Amino acid sequence: MTQVFQSTNDAGHVAPPASGRPPGRLARARDHGPDSIKGTLVKVVLLGLVDAFAVYVMMMLFLSESWAILAVAALVTLAINWIYLRKGGLPAKYLAPGVFFLIIFQVFVVLYSGYIAFTNYGDGHNSTKADAIAAIQTMAQKRVPDSPTFKTAVLKQDDELFLLFTAPDGAVSLGSSTEALAAVTDAGTDSTGKANSVPGYDTLNFAQVVANQDAILAISVPVSDDPAEGSLRTADGSTAYAFKPSMVYDAGTDTFTDVDTGATYTDNGEGAFANANGERLATGWKINVGFDNFVRAFTDPNLRAPLLSVVAWTFTFAIASVILTFSLGLFLAITFNRDDLRGKKVYRVLMILPYAFPAFLSGLVWSGILNPQFGWLNQTLLGGAEIGWLTDPVLAKISVLVVNLWLGFPYMFLVCTGALQSLPTELDEAARVDGAGAWRVFRSIKLPLLLVSIAPLLIASFAFNFNNFNVIYMLTGGGPRFEDTTRDIGSTDILITLVYKVAFGQGTGRDYGLASALAIVIFIIVATVSAVSFKQTKALEEVNR
Amino acid sequence: MKLPNSSAMPVSRRVFTIGAFSAVTAVALSACGGGDKTSSSAPATAQDLAAGGASTITMWVDAERSPALKDIAAKFKADTGIEVKLVIKDFAAVRDDFITQVPTGKGPDLIVGPHDWVGKFVQNGVIAPVELGDKASTFSATAIKAMTFNGSNYGVPYSVENIALLRNTALLPAAVTTFDEAVAAGQGVVDAGKAKYAFLVGLDPKQGDPYHLYPLQTSMGSAVFGLTPEGGYDPKNLVLGGPEGIAFAKKLVEWGDTGSKVLNSNITGDIAKEEFKNGKSPYFLTGPWNVPDLQKAGIKLAIDPLPTAGDKPAQPFVGVNGFFISAKSANALATTEFVTNYLTTEAAQDSMFATGGRPPALKASFEKASSDPIVAAFGKIGDNGVPMPAIPEMDAVWNDWGATELDLIKGKGDPATDWPKMAATIKSKIGA
Amino acid sequence: MSTTLQPETTRTLVPQPKRRPFGVWFKDKGWRHLVGVVVTLFAVFPLLYVLSAALNSNGTLAGTKGLFTQVDIENFVKLFNDPARPFGRWFMNTLIIGVVTSAATVFLGAMAAYAFSRMRFTGRRVGLLSLLLLQMFPQLLAVVAIFLLLSGISDVIPALGLGSQLGLIMVYLGGALGVNTYLMYGFFNTVPQSLDEAAKIDGASHVQIFFGIILRLVTPILAVVALLSFIGISSEFVIASVVLTDPDSQTLAVGLYSFVADTRSKNWGIFSAGAVLAAVPVMALFLFLQRYIVSGLVQGGVKG
Repeated sequence: MTQVFQSTNDAGHVAPPASGRPPGRLARARDHGPDSIKGTLVKVVLLGLVDAFAVYVMMMLFLSESWAILAVAALVTLAINWIYLRKGGLPAKYLAPGVFFLIIFQVFVVLYSGYIAFTNYGDGHNSTKADAIAAIQTMAQKRVPDSPTFKTAVLKQDDELFLLFTAPDGAVSLGSSTEALAAVTDAGTDSTGKANSVPGYDTLNFAQVVANQDAILAISVPVSDDPAEGSLRTADGSTAYAFKPSMVYDAGTDTFTDVDTGATYTDNGEGAFANANGERLATGWKINVGFDNFVRAFTDPNLRAPLLSVVAWTFTFAIASVILTFSLGLFLAITFNRDDLRGKKVYRVLMILPYAFPAFLSGLVWSGILNPQFGWLNQTLLGGAEIGWLTDPVLAKISVLVVNLWLGFPYMFLVCTGALQSLPTELDEAARVDGAGAWRVFRSIKLPLLLVSIAPLLIASFAFNFNNFNVIYMLTGGGPRFEDTTRDIGSTDILITLVYKVAFGQGTGRDYGLASALAIVIFIIVATVSAVSFKQTKALEEVNR
Repeated sequence: MKLPNSSAMPVSRRVFTIGAFSAVTAVALSACGGGDKTSSSAPATAQDLAAGGASTITMWVDAERSPALKDIAAKFKADTGIEVKLVIKDFAAVRDDFITQVPTGKGPDLIVGPHDWVGKFVQNGVIAPVELGDKASTFSATAIKAMTFNGSNYGVPYSVENIALLRNTALLPAAVTTFDEAVAAGQGVVDAGKAKYAFLVGLDPKQGDPYHLYPLQTSMGSAVFGLTPEGGYDPKNLVLGGPEGIAFAKKLVEWGDTGSKVLNSNITGDIAKEEFKNGKSPYFLTGPWNVPDLQKAGIKLAIDPLPTAGDKPAQPFVGVNGFFISAKSANALATTEFVTNYLTTEAAQDSMFATGGRPPALKASFEKASSDPIVAAFGKIGDNGVPMPAIPEMDAVWNDWGATELDLIKGKGDPATDWPKMAATIKSKIGA
Repeated sequence: MSTTLQPETTRTLVPQPKRRPFGVWFKDKGWRHLVGVVVTLFAVFPLLYVLSAALNSNGTLAGTKGLFTQVDIENFVKLFNDPARPFGRWFMNTLIIGVVTSAATVFLGAMAAYAFSRMRFTGRRVGLLSLLLLQMFPQLLAVVAIFLLLSGISDVIPALGLGSQLGLIMVYLGGALGVNTYLMYGFFNTVPQSLDEAAKIDGASHVQIFFGIILRLVTPILAVVALLSFIGISSEFVIASVVLTDPDSQTLAVGLYSFVADTRSKNWGIFSAGAVLAAVPVMALFLFLQRYIVSGLVQGGVKG
């Protein structure tokens, strides 16, 4: 017990919020609440800073008139103050900072994915309807064939902007969005013959043009009463062309009309404009589609046919990866957990190297090493054998596992090395006195103890490998392909690579809506498996308590 | 287990005081900050540019173009006071990042990329058309054709690229015209013990490489898409699976693992380059991007026209790199000015060629660059080429196309059934 | 694996330079060296290709020509002499972001682990489980979501939004609770509760117990978590590339990718050189933290 006193005493000196009072006074401090003045001060200052920042954020939100977010920010600030100022509720005091970031940056991602699963977000449905209409209108502006290039200057009179055009034949004319095009005879010109001033108007220099660019880009001056001749517009403030739209939007009926064919395109309810024949305009917008994506997820023939073998391999891959990396990591951790082993530092540093290099670089190197004809493995180690490490269905699976072991064992090695430190060294000695062998000590005492801290990590590692897109994609791309299917699916494909191929590899391009729906389905699978395993860890934990 | 609470009552009041004090300071600070914003816009000057957020143009660029654009960006800044901020992005993700970021208004004003992104960009409404006017005629016809989508021009081209047949003149002094002749000549060198491979072309062991094999395919009369009356690719008319395609598929088996082994799927692009660099083969089917390294290694190169496997001309895919303007650029006018009046100049295109080494799209710059016979030869071959399809449907083609070619090269599968099956799969994916 | 450990007299007494028979030595330590050498080869061999490419100005990763056929430092020279790509700057950025984030991660994670390990409250079990489950959500849309979030933050507080390193650190801190918390939680559980109880009787506050006793006793796992999160952050690429747009503010991972960003002309030599240098801080940090990781359980406290 004296030693415990000793360490408490030390604590008083080391911990920042505690004062350096002599140990004897600690007991008295307890009478009026255990916090020292210093600790309270630190807390007050920190909370004050947080509040100041929160008020600043709320001010900015107020100025930008984001009322909903402002309300949330106010609530969060109140909650934080409540947590730290009230009596009791100790767990919240310790959890709040981490949870704060967790909710903003992780929960948000999940919620966002959940929301996207109910939309058609993806290529061709990328933004709002207003954006889509604007984009279609911009793209529909075609230059009138064989129309001339006009040199252009921007003029201003009584806050209205005008464009001054110089035709190739030298004719000068002036117009604005409201004033029709009219010939000008008294214009001043620059050295290139471009008219740049008219009496009674101010000429804008380039900086002024840029400062007014939105208004200038909006100016459209009809060439004549005949709409077929188009309207003059400038995109850079110095040249103008006659454009006419190939599509006209009517806001009243919410339709686009093709000027040449007369076909009308109406909102088809699927986030696109379509004509009577079902032909769509390429640019659509994002809408909510309800459960459509989930229905597709379960009916897509690309997914259904090979699903069983892919699911089986996904589980095999994830479980085998965990077992392999953990076994090797633990074995190494134990092997080098000897104070008197010379060179252990060197071994340890070299062993974490695979973890310290960019994974995709390693992936490239590995696929080089495993090349059937030129790879080091076949050429040097196996004396010129032509073994298809990445092209044979079975060997490809083994290769993927080995490479994943290489990538993952340093992590387990580090974690186990750390966790081993929690095992009392007396264990070995006690066991030896009882005459138990090292293996038995390990098997029946050390391993169960270790698993208390490591088991949840193994579950997390399982989940990570379940979704380990990178290693598969880098090394085999999911191949070699199944020969009995026309689909782009191979024997090392796991669920997440399959999702990628299905959701991003179709003719319409990237389909984030479908991808999210599939992600949620996968999540439900992994989460169930993990939650069940997690229940088992409770038993482990209680054993040691 | 319950622990006593840390904060006693008297403390909480102090917290409030201090908190409130800091809050007041913050209010005061932010009030000062807010004051600047309300200042009314006086006569337009360079300061106005800054106030309106128009003092910079953000441009996403790849690492190679970045130094080449520095000079022209500096000139633009000197002329107009507007800074062009060059942001180097990862090429693999840049297209999709652009598509996601533009609608939020936070994307860049300008992006550099190959023309086959245009279809995707248009589909998502993220780029605006650019009218080049009379300047269009100063660019090579191929470049302008590639940048044209649905009848409008969407980008300012700066380089045109295509593959060609590289020959190591130390091993083979004379050029041939057909693929069979090339292989025979190459085999002669191998038989003489001077080389290891008759012919090299880099293939991806995972996905094959339809891009590099396309000239052989076109020389047998097979293409991917048919053309619309306006001359663009027609996504509804996938001609890949036709009888010419099947004939080409049969050839792939002949050239592959179970045949003459001219095409070897174990030889990646990197390996092919390495072996050619070491003089292990007289021929290498590749693009201009590998030329500088090969010259540096001392290989004497000749650029031969693409070999034919059939009676039609061997047409490579031509890739045109260019600049595209965001549809939601907050600084659209200045960006257009920079793109149409600065990047189209001879000086700009010259300097981009000098740094990046890619054949310029501007005719005048290309003429100058053509003093290098290699550039001239690549350009001549490119004149026969066809633009890489920019329609979004092309995305769905690559995967199945490559995988099927790979299987055939490996001798797995029957060309007569697999090739049409591939075409049917692609058709179902693009809904053609 | 079933090796019997010899009773170790040498350990308790003063080390004796006595010569032991080889068999005994091997059973005790020799096999460990054998394992060490074999696994080191497995771990390091593929990386030799990277080193070879880094030291070869004509380097590729194809590796058909054998390793180290040509050795020069041109790649390293180029790496530091490209004004458009300030490698030194990236290095510092990575160090700063990595150190700040891993320190904060350790702190936030340890606080949470302390709460989960030492306190019993409603929702504790559910909280632990949700932390675990949250990590399992396939992050296909993470980049899009985080971009939207930060672009929203930019509108309110530009200093914490897109383009800001502070914003990036915040995003990383979103992952502070999670697997790391579990690792610490498990370790905290192995520290006997009797220690806290005793300290409490002595009048120590929960803050004092946390900082003074627990954190000191769990130093090994804190060091491990710090190292893991530093490694994770220094190689994180996807989020950093979306958040940090200015070349001067980028991290090593983002910057280095620009050397191989172009599909047609990848500069593997310089990239490898950069990757080799990028691994140096990780190794240095490991060497520095190693004594904390394997310091053995804090001597005084527990053994008594």
